[in-house]
Amino acid sequence: MLNKSALNYCKNIRKKIIFSIYYARSGHVGPSLSCVELIYSILKLGINYKKKNRNKFVLSKGHAAPTLYATLDEFNLLKKNELKTLRKVKSRLQGHPDKKKLNLVDTGTGALGQGLSISIGYSLGSKLLNSNNKIFCLLGDGEIQEGQIWESAMYIGAHNLKNIIVFIDGNKFQNERSIAETLPEKNLLKKWESFGFKTMRINGHSLIAIEKIIKSFLKSKNKKPILVYCDTIKGKGVSFMENNNKFHSVKDLSEENYRKAISELS
Amino acid sequence: MTLSIREAFGRELARLGKKNKKIVAISCDLKDACKLSFFFEKFPKRSFEVGIAEANAVGIAAGLSMSGFRPFLASFASFITGKNIEIRTSISYNKCGVVIVGTHGGLIGPDGATQSSVQDIAVMRSLPYFEIIQPSSPRETKQIINYSSLSKKPIYLRIARNEVTEFLPKNYKFKIGLPSLIKRGKRNLVISSGPILSNCFMAVKKLGNNIGVLNLSSIKPINEKYIIRILKNYKNIITVEDHSIIGGLGSIIAEIIAKNNLNKNLKIHGIKDDFVDSDTPSSLEKFYKLDIKSLEKIFKKFFRI
Repeated sequence: MLNKSALNYCKNIRKKIIFSIYYARSGHVGPSLSCVELIYSILKLGINYKKKNRNKFVLSKGHAAPTLYATLDEFNLLKKNELKTLRKVKSRLQGHPDKKKLNLVDTGTGALGQGLSISIGYSLGSKLLNSNNKIFCLLGDGEIQEGQIWESAMYIGAHNLKNIIVFIDGNKFQNERSIAETLPEKNLLKKWESFGFKTMRINGHSLIAIEKIIKSFLKSKNKKPILVYCDTIKGKGVSFMENNNKFHSVKDLSEENYRKAISELS
Repeated sequence: MTLSIREAFGRELARLGKKNKKIVAISCDLKDACKLSFFFEKFPKRSFEVGIAEANAVGIAAGLSMSGFRPFLASFASFITGKNIEIRTSISYNKCGVVIVGTHGGLIGPDGATQSSVQDIAVMRSLPYFEIIQPSSPRETKQIINYSSLSKKPIYLRIARNEVTEFLPKNYKFKIGLPSLIKRGKRNLVISSGPILSNCFMAVKKLGNNIGVLNLSSIKPINEKYIIRILKNYKNIITVEDHSIIGGLGSIIAEIIAKNNLNKNLKIHGIKDDFVDSDTPSSLEKFYKLDIKSLEKIFKKFFRI
């Protein structure tokens, strides 16, 4: 399913992220560009929006909303020109995902650290309903500094909630500086393993690697909940934004930068 | 009939759980104290012990609610309403139908300030979509639990641990948004809810017929037109609460009076801007002047009887 056209889709999604943030005159461009392949693959392979009772996607790092919106648009699930309304009053595309306004969003998020707990709620709900739904949760690598993440990890491990898969968008930066400068991670995968997860580390821009993991998660009888640490590049796809934390959150992306970014992606 | 409000809550929830399969219960290592244990025993599959992790519990409740269930998440009021950012984002922002049950509201006893909740109404009132209800007697508690189980809204229930002798009439009916005048009076009105209402009621009974008593168990929403109609019949109004005088019942009544230019004498009686001390609940009621005798004195003075 993920072939050459998937690469084009991801390119288009990146263009749409840049375009919508340019129009909004603000937005988290760097951390949106780092999780394009992840969100595209999760939605494409894991979520069937036509079904009522379906798998869930919890975007815990809610500031990557532009990626979610751009992907939904790429799948023709938004209205024409709706991306131009990002971050505007009365828009369905609020600065952080708002479930009340856009019902394709499975969970409104924004204050970090909460999505994994909500994923547990979905997981338990699915079990009570005998519906065998799977839950995809995407965390930021800075986000896991929140204590609630570890409360959730402890619960998921203790109850072996095998219908949850957690992806960490490991772009190595957070709001102000790099993770290493802020609060370095030590033995991250071992930590998750000790809580009862099966862990993997992949290139988070490799569509093939992500596809393999998602397909096996959807098919197989998993023995444990899964944690996938994804090495990604903040600002991926636009040379001057890559690993440049000035582009974590932009105010007023200049026309020059906008054109440069679009031409690089074309 | 004398029963603690939390026990009335726990028994009624377990009774409703038989018919209403959507009800699920979430505990943070306090199911015995919060009386969720009745439900846990009867419906183990729909009961979730999260451990001492209130933030996680809030998110789990949100996810269960978005899966179509009606979660009752119970903990000490001070602990659970302290998780403001989690309740705000996971429950309120998503308009999740979660019932947060804060037990041990008000003056709880020797455990002291950290476990006593006298700021919870103020904290919860500002969260969008939340209804706030504080039952005043065992009879009213049953009706409120029934209402909460059927509603789809986020609700904060403030439940006391105090024992209350039933004082509301058999034909009493709780209605969301509507305060209930449980005793008529002339010129003078006492407004309260929760177990302190019963103290007010007893104090007023000793002082004769010209003091009315209003049960404000539906703290949010309040049908403003309805309460204004009641307030118009009284000149002197005192609010009584086992909660901070900042942001509780008194503040709510003051807002209504000010917004509508009602010409009233208002006294707000509650816990001043401070933490409460440790002692037995009855000693604390005396110390904070919320016991029947102190209230009698305060009413006498304010109403000039």
